Amino acid sequence: MNNTPRILNRILIGILGLKMLAIGLLLVLLATVPAVGSWWQHWSAGVWSGMSRLFQRTGIPGRDESWLWAVMALLLVLVIAAMVAWVAQQGKGRSSLLVAEDDAGDFPGSVRIGGGVAEQALRAALAERPDLAGATVATYEIRGEPALKIRLQPRHGVAPHLLAADVSALVEALDAVVGQRTPVLIHISAGARSRFSRAERVR
Amino acid sequence: MNNATDVRSKGSHAAGNSSGAPAPDPRGAGMRRILDRETRSSRAGVSGIAAVLVVVLCGYGLLESAVRAIGQPPWLIDPETAAERIIALPQGMPPLLLGLIGAVTAMVGLFFFLNAVLPGRRARHLLADPRAGVVVDDEVIASALARRARVAANVIQEQVMVVVSQRQVTVNVRPTSGVPVSENAVLAAVLEELREMDPVPMPEVRVNVATAGVIGA
Repeated sequence: MNNTPRILNRILIGILGLKMLAIGLLLVLLATVPAVGSWWQHWSAGVWSGMSRLFQRTGIPGRDESWLWAVMALLLVLVIAAMVAWVAQQGKGRSSLLVAEDDAGDFPGSVRIGGGVAEQALRAALAERPDLAGATVATYEIRGEPALKIRLQPRHGVAPHLLAADVSALVEALDAVVGQRTPVLIHISAGARSRFSRAERVR
Repeated sequence: MNNATDVRSKGSHAAGNSSGAPAPDPRGAGMRRILDRETRSSRAGVSGIAAVLVVVLCGYGLLESAVRAIGQPPWLIDPETAAERIIALPQGMPPLLLGLIGAVTAMVGLFFFLNAVLPGRRARHLLADPRAGVVVDDEVIASALARRARVAANVIQEQVMVVVSQRQVTVNVRPTSGVPVSENAVLAAVLEELREMDPVPMPEVRVNVATAGVIGA
């Protein structure tokens, strides 16, 4: 429902996983197969000598440290910033407006209805139901369009299709009030609260 | 088993009914995408772990290279000494420890890689509804079916256990000792409930009645 970047998540996790897998397998091979050890020493010594020559050529004038260290520190800062930005993308997409449009009438201005209207109305309508242990309503923005997510936590043994039909009727009543059909997702979930309650005997 | 084939034909029939091809979704154009996303894991948690791991590694690298850039003594290890030790690797380290570190790293890498590649389907089913997209956790379906099976078998709550997976529903009933339970009655009740519910994909039903009964229930 939210705008978590799923493809990006999978690509980045996949890259990290492949790299760690390769490093781990290399270490295991180094520990077990002697031939790999001699190859590794030969190959990595060549790479390292090339790098150290590069470091010697790029010294800061007047000091013996290379400026490549500063470049490397900068690159690492960029990677860290990218990681923080990536984490900040997870679970985004909550919005506060249910309707925001120009009504094209004679008067200037636009119509805005806050998501709180739908949330309060549906929560109040669902509050008295004895077969629900909890209900939350949230407004999301999916590709610029507002959408509602209704999360229901029924008690044990409640038939989900009957519950969904009831809530769907409530949503249609809300459509009539708001004057717009927003996409609605009803998620009937087994929350922690219904797990610990003995609702078989309530009904 | 006669019951099983009967169930299978019923299941496929119901699934065939519900999966027509309505091109314009009356519930909104984005509903297909929303439902697709709701039935799969977003990998947000694993992404967070991966990001923290990379940040910690980069943070350490940043510290050492910054210390090096301003010409201060290193905190834990000088980058050059580290590189020399890595080059010399099979030497200078007990092979058991090296292999262990490698195995752990490879396992963590495999965990991340599988998380990226596997479909990550959540234990959820879709219900048909003209107005809203409806997603139901399998646990909710299981408890509804368990209630129905319990009434049909005339036993108490603890004697019925229902396991719902993507394509199969298993109903385990432990009858009260001395009171026979009709497997067909339980199966019919569960099928009836499933038919009314009409989850997508429609699972098959299997009923197991235990041979040993419960005493004093």
